[in-house]
Parts: sequence; structure tokens; C-alpha cells
Amino acid sequence: MDMLFQFIANGLVSGSFYALSALGLTLIFGLMRVVNFAHGELYMLGGVMGWLTTTVLGLNFFAGLALTILVMGAFGWLADRFLIERVRDQGEEPSILLTIGLSIFLTNTALLLVGTAPLNVEGPLPNKPVFLGPVVLTELRLFAVAACAALILAAHLVIRYTRLGRAMRATFQDAMAARLAGINTARVYASTFALGTILAASAGMLLGSIYSTHVSAGGLVSLKAFVVVILGGMGSFAGAIVGGLILGVAEALWGGYISTGTVDIIGFLIVILTLIFKPYGLFSTQVERA
Amino acid sequence: MKIERNTLLVLGLVALVFPLLVGNQYLLHIGVMVLLYAILATSLNLIVGYVGEFSLGHTAFLGLGAYTAALLSLRLGWPVWATVPVAGVVSAIFGAAIGAITLRLRGPYFVIITLAFAEVLRLIANNWVDFTNGPMGLSGVAQPALLADASPLMAKRFYFYLALALTAVALYMAYRFVYSNNGRAAVTVRENRFVAQSVGIRPFVYAMRAFVLGAFLAGLAGGFYAHYITFVGANVFGFAFMISMIIMVLIGGKGTLIGPLLGALLVTLLTEYLRELQELRLSLFGLIVMAVVLFLPNGLMGFLNHRREPGERDGADRTAPGTQGGTA
Amino acid sequence: MRKLILAPIIATALMGATQAQAQDTLKIGLIQPLTGSVAYNGTADANGARLAVKERNANGGVLGKQVELIIEDGQCSPANSVNAAEKLIQRDRVASLVGAFCSSATSAVMPVARKYKVPFLSGVSSEASLTEKGNPYFFRSAETDALLGQAFSKLLADNLDLKKVAYIGVNDDWGRGSVKAFESELSAHGVDTAMVEYFNHGATDFYTLLTKLRSSGADGVFVAAETQDGSTLVKQIKQFGIDMDVFGVGSWATSDFINITGEAAEGIYAAVPYVANQDGERNKKFVKDYATAYDHAPGKYAAAGYNSLNIMMDAIERAGATDADAILGGLKATDYQAPNGRYRFTSKGQGYGFNLVLVQIHDGDIDVVATTRIDNPEADKNNDGQ
Repeated sequence: MDMLFQFIANGLVSGSFYALSALGLTLIFGLMRVVNFAHGELYMLGGVMGWLTTTVLGLNFFAGLALTILVMGAFGWLADRFLIERVRDQGEEPSILLTIGLSIFLTNTALLLVGTAPLNVEGPLPNKPVFLGPVVLTELRLFAVAACAALILAAHLVIRYTRLGRAMRATFQDAMAARLAGINTARVYASTFALGTILAASAGMLLGSIYSTHVSAGGLVSLKAFVVVILGGMGSFAGAIVGGLILGVAEALWGGYISTGTVDIIGFLIVILTLIFKPYGLFSTQVERA
Repeated sequence: MKIERNTLLVLGLVALVFPLLVGNQYLLHIGVMVLLYAILATSLNLIVGYVGEFSLGHTAFLGLGAYTAALLSLRLGWPVWATVPVAGVVSAIFGAAIGAITLRLRGPYFVIITLAFAEVLRLIANNWVDFTNGPMGLSGVAQPALLADASPLMAKRFYFYLALALTAVALYMAYRFVYSNNGRAAVTVRENRFVAQSVGIRPFVYAMRAFVLGAFLAGLAGGFYAHYITFVGANVFGFAFMISMIIMVLIGGKGTLIGPLLGALLVTLLTEYLRELQELRLSLFGLIVMAVVLFLPNGLMGFLNHRREPGERDGADRTAPGTQGGTA
Repeated sequence: MRKLILAPIIATALMGATQAQAQDTLKIGLIQPLTGSVAYNGTADANGARLAVKERNANGGVLGKQVELIIEDGQCSPANSVNAAEKLIQRDRVASLVGAFCSSATSAVMPVARKYKVPFLSGVSSEASLTEKGNPYFFRSAETDALLGQAFSKLLADNLDLKKVAYIGVNDDWGRGSVKAFESELSAHGVDTAMVEYFNHGATDFYTLLTKLRSSGADGVFVAAETQDGSTLVKQIKQFGIDMDVFGVGSWATSDFINITGEAAEGIYAAVPYVANQDGERNKKFVKDYATAYDHAPGKYAAAGYNSLNIMMDAIERAGATDADAILGGLKATDYQAPNGRYRFTSKGQGYGFNLVLVQIHDGDIDVVATTRIDNPEADKNNDGQ
């Protein structure tokens, strides 16, 4: 029974990390409909930036995070204006191919520049264990869960209550109407992509401080993030959280009671079942076009 | 149609004499890999180009074919002429099952669910140690018996012609499919699902046929791969193969028969010749892929057609049929 | 901007190429994973190999010619490694091949080497069956999983006073092979198996696995994992408050591993074929040269690359010619004094005679606990038969 609690606690923690690493994709894939296969690479770049700022430059975690957000936000903005914008509204294919190209380029260029060794990101807190009854956690993990909740809340508030957020919602509901209403949709798209990139990169840096990171960390992250977004429903933050938690707990239980070697399979099985029985996810706020 | 057929025949003739003119076995090996990818790209093109849905799970059928052929050859001692067709059939059966589930979805949902199926199969292949030998893989898949005494050059030529024969089969079947009522119906569905339905075409049926045929051809390619490389591991289901295939189809130009062949030729040569650049090559490859999307949105074939018909220059390819995919 | 970043890289690549393109060189091909998830280890191997060639060329090369090392990226994928082998053999006309790292990739290259009659040496691939395939062109200057297990199990069982051990391995051919080998060897020494679990390469969260480990009742845990996965796992074992003896295989006895693992590395044991602070003048010189070239001490894969290239170059020198049969003869007669022992080959091409070291990480240093030697496995069998 103690094992069950620990499995569920593990699942909730890793699930909130999945949610965190999928948040950026919720915006980029869920709202913008860019099937972004470079998502994991944005996450990886966040980790690399974290390593660069904390371990190489010696900044503390929060200064490093601020710098990472700044740099990656700019990167996301430019990536949208120079790349994604040119394939907007052309269906999935060009954007998939473009982001695959981008992910190959980013992974291998990062490999050239920082090498293949694992990279350490200095965390804001020590990784000392915390015992809650039979359940073991660490301070850093609790911090990460809290940060995850804060980021999700912040992103939610931005979209709900700011001018930009309103413009985003208008644009993704009907871009034409939004343009007619005087919204600069190109800027909205770029801001959304930048915001998604920032979320992915912050996740990469935060989780890098817990696990350490390396330049080929991206591939697996992309796949899991797609699972979470599909499961939660396109474009829904609440969905991403629930999707992440379900994936985390399902993996923990599968790993705990079946085998850890096959644990990745559960995510894909969930995706297949979700898409068969509830194709628009658990929390989709959007009605499928067409 | 005429031009397409004639070009294919000319390409076939060139391929037919290629091994006789070339004694360099490395070039022959590249030739074999080009043909292998040509089959794969052609089969994927049936789905991407003619159904208009973007599959990222096509490696499922490559992998199933490769494992089928490897297991039949290693466990039961079947010869190549039996394992490769059976590999195709097994893939086709799985294609029917997977297609029946996945083709109900469209757009990004189809992309992700096909990817999920391929990943599930990869994980099964990697963990079912008793059956697939797990991550240790299946090594020593038999070469055809008649190659026992052949020189390496003769063996290479044999494989080249075998691959060429399979490519011819693949193109013939794709050609028959595309220029049949099936193919025309599939194109109608791709262009406008609702118009197609309103004239009595059932999209699902035609999409299924294209999907199963695509699976069959990818299975043949997988079977050939198993015997040629002699080692089959779970990476045949992996995303790396998928990326190569999809890049070939889109660079060459989807929805044409020649496009995927050009794509296979170009990408295989590019990846081999970029080897000179060592670690730099993949960064460059990524840039090339991005450049193609941005500057040749309809692939090489789109570019060539565009040049041939200057009349429809502007606006024509922005809204080109097919690029709208499933979001119509 | 992009040009600015790439320019030095292109420049170094070209310089490397032109330096080596002196006339009439002796070409040796090396296939390693330089991109993808095992690139870290493949790069270390390639660095070791480059050093070996550089040293040899400074001392006059082989058979009076400069050696040209042509390195290709096989990505540990069977198909890509075969492509690389075809290119090296057919286009570059290499005299011999080294490499492929992952056993699956090596396994796919072996028939290619045999078909073209090119001697092929692997310094890393540890799957035991590779040398049992009867491929006369294949040699291996590395320990197999089974040999490593045999060499250390008794030592571990006695030194750590193990009763019940849990086994955790990365879910690939090497991880599964190592777990299997150690499990059967330790069982033979009366150690019970508490649990066997595998995890996928690139996994980051091991808490589920560790929950099972904690309640498995084991007093020691065997881990087969490389630097990235291994350091994350070891860190989490300590975080989780699990107080068991941790021992394992993988490139753990390196400064990278210790840096990344931090305090959590304290007290863990690693069984490796090479560690930088082994005794001996030969090793001291290697470590010094390697550190001068790459700014850090060599690990087991750097040593593997260094040794395999030296063995190959020795064999060609000994053969006095560059045709395959001569080189095979040269390889069979190998008696190479490495930084970590004296390499020789059995009739099946399996290397022996080199050291295996059990190290413990203590205060960020690597302490050698015990050293043993891989004996000729065939000699053993003969003795048993008598």
C-alpha cells in the first residue's frame, strides 16, 4: 500500500513535469495548429541556456532563468516571423517538414557548439529528500511542481485578462475577423510562438536542474508533449495539466506493477484510445473546423 | 499521364543499365539504397499525396515487413522469394487494421495517431525478447542461396536488380492505382471531401485502399531491407526512417509518381555526399530541409511543373490542392 | 552571424582533412556514433583513436607511410553503419575497419567486412555472440558482458558481502547483456536476485523504479547505464534515501560522471576495463598526452578507441603489407602493451590479457579497489578438459 502512495506521488510529480514541458506545445500546436516537431529542441535549448548561465557564467538560477526567457523569447519571435509565418495556413505538411528541419538543425548545431557531454544546471534549491509519511520527495521537486503551477497560472492569466490574450483568442477563433477588427495578427502569432518557446525553454531549464540535460534530450520530450496535448485537448491549459497528470500517473502505475522497460508504451496507447473514443481530447474548448 | 509514364520508362531503362556501366560497388550500394527509399517514398506518397493525410507512422509497415522477413528467414529458413512477398502481405494486413482505426481521423489527429502506432510497434519489438530478440535484434538474416559463391560485385548487382524489380512492382501498382477510378476518386477526396461525398464517393473506402497498398509496398521494402542489411532491430520502426521518407516525398513533390523517386535519389545522394562535412552535415541537412519548404513549397516536381506552365504562376501554388490537407 | 559561428568549424574540418591527405597514406576507417543519443561515448572513442594515430604518425607512421584515419558517423544504426562501411571500403579503400560501437551496428557491419575481405576490429561492442559467429575478419579488443561478469562477481559478492541484489539496466543490447551476465554470475556465488528491471535510454525520472527497489529487500543494486542515464539514476538513488551498495558497469570512472553526479557519486563502485589512474608508465604517458590534447582525462571509451587503433596499426606493421590476409595474420599475432594491460586474441578473435578494474568513487576521486585480468577464455576450457 505504501508503494501505491509512492507510485501515485511519483506519477503526480512527473505528471506535472510532463504538463510543464507540454505547455508550450499547447499554445503552438493546440492554438496555432503548428505541428511543432522542434518543441523538444526548444526545451533542450532552455536546458543548454540554463547550463550556460548557471554553470558557465555562474549566475544564480533566477537570473539565469530571466536571461533564458529573454533570449528564447526573442528566438521564438524570430523563428515565427522568418520561418513559421511563411507556411501559415497551409495545412500540416509544410509546418511539420519545416519544424523537423529546424529540429535537425538545432540538435546538431547545439552538438557542434556545446558538445555531447551531459550538462548540469544549478538548481535554486538543494535536492535533499523530503519525507511526507511514506512518500519521498525532494525540495527541488516540490519547487518545480510549484513553479509549474505558477507558470500555468501565469500563462492562463495572460491569455484571459491581457490585451494580448484577448487578441490571441480572437485571432485563433477567426483570424480574418480579427484582422478586420484591426488586430495585427502577424504580431499575435509571433507573440504566441514566442510565449510557447519561453514556456518550453523554462521547462527545459527547470527540469534540467533536477535531472541534468544534454543536447539530444529533445526527441523524447516532443513525443511525450504531443501525447499530453492530444490527451488534454488542443489548446486547453486545463487539459494539458490533466493530460500531464494522467500520463504521469499511468506511467508510474504501469512501471510499478508491470515493467519499467515498456513504460513508454502506455502514453501511445492512451493517445490511440483517446483519439478513437474522444478524438478532441478531454478538455477541448474548440470545435473542430470543417 | 503520358509524360509521367514515359519519364518512368526512361528512368527504368537508365536504372537497368546502371549496374552494367558502374563497377564501383559503393555506387551500386548507394543505388540499392536509392531504390529502397524509392519504394518507401512511393508507398508513403500514396497516403500523403493521394489520400491527402499526413502519416508519420509509415515506418510501422517498413518495420513489420523487415521483422516478418527476418523471422521467416531465421526461424523457418524460408528463401528470399517467399519472405519478401509475405512481408508485404503481413504489412498489408496490419495496414488494413491500422487504417480502419486511423483513417477516421484527419489533420493533426491523424498525424499523431499514426505516429503512436509506429511507436507502439517499436516498443513491442524492443521488449518482446522471446519473439523478436528485443534490443539485441535479429542478425545474420540469410542472403539468397545463389549468392553463396558469387563475388561481391555480382552480389551487389543481384541486389540492385532485385531492388529494381521491387521498385518496378511498386511503381506499377501505384501507377495502376493512381490512374484507376480508385485513384481519381482518391484525388477528388483529397481536393474536396464534401464534393466527393456529394457525388457518391465514399472517402473512407478509397483512403483505405491507398493505405493498404502503401502498407503492402512498405512491407516489401522492409523485407528487402532485412535481407540486404542482414540485421533487423527495433530502429526500423524509428522516427529516423520516417524523417527520411517524409523529406523525400515532400522534397520530390507529393501527389506525383516521379516526385518521390527524385526525392529518394536526391536525399540519399545528399546524405552520403554530405559525409565529407563530418559533424557539420546534419546541421546543413536541416537547413536544406527548411530551405526546401520555404522556397520550393511543392517540391521539385512542383517547381518543374511550374516552369512548364508559366500561365498559372501567381497564387497558384499558395492554394495548391493538397496543401490544404485535412483542414479543409 | 551563422557564418561567423560555422567558420572556425569548417576551418578545423578542412585543416584536419588536408593535413591527412598527404600522398600515399595508409587508410584506416573508423565508424562511431558521432550524432544521436550515444554520441557522447562515440566521440570519446574517436578522440582516443585520433590520438593514437597522431602519435604513430609523429613516430614515422606505419610501414613508412603516414596513417590517415577516416572517421564516419554510423549513429549506432545498423543501416547507417553499413552505409559508412561501404563508403569506407569502396570509396576510400581503407585497409581495415575499426568500430561501430553498438553491438547491433557492429553485427550489421560484420558481413560487409567479410564480403569485401576487410579486417574489422571492434573496441567496444560487448555482445558475447559477436565473436561466436565464425567471421574470420572480425576481432574484438573489448571485454564481453560475460567476461566482465565472471571477472567481478566473486570479488563483489565477497567484498560487499552481498546477499540479495537488484538489477537495473538500460533497455538495450548492452544493458540487457550486462544484467544477464552479472545476474547469472552472482547467482552462481550464492547471491539472490531481488528484482530485474530495465529502463529506456533517455529516461529522466526513476522514482517509480526506485520505489520498487526500496521495497525489494535488496542489499545492493547493480546498474548498467552510461554517463547520462547513470548519473541521473545514481543521483536519484541518493535523493530517494536508499542506502544500498551501488555498483555497476558503464563509463562511470570519468570526471564528467563525477561532476554531473556530484555528492551522490560518493561510495559507488564501477567495474570498468580502464580507469585513468591505473598504475604503470604506459598509462601515465597516455593520460598525459590525452589530457594535453583534450583537456580532460581519458575514460573507458577514449582508451578503447586508442587501443583499438594501436592494435590495428601494430597488426599492419607486423604484417608488413596491407592486404587482408597479411593484416589478419598480424592481428592474430597481436601482443600489444596497452595502458591497461597486454592485449592478445583468441583463435575466435576475442581479446584477452587486459586489465579490468573495480573502482570506488570517494571524495570525487576514483580509488582503485581491485584489479583483475581477463584470461584467455579458451585456455580455461582446455584446462577443464584435461
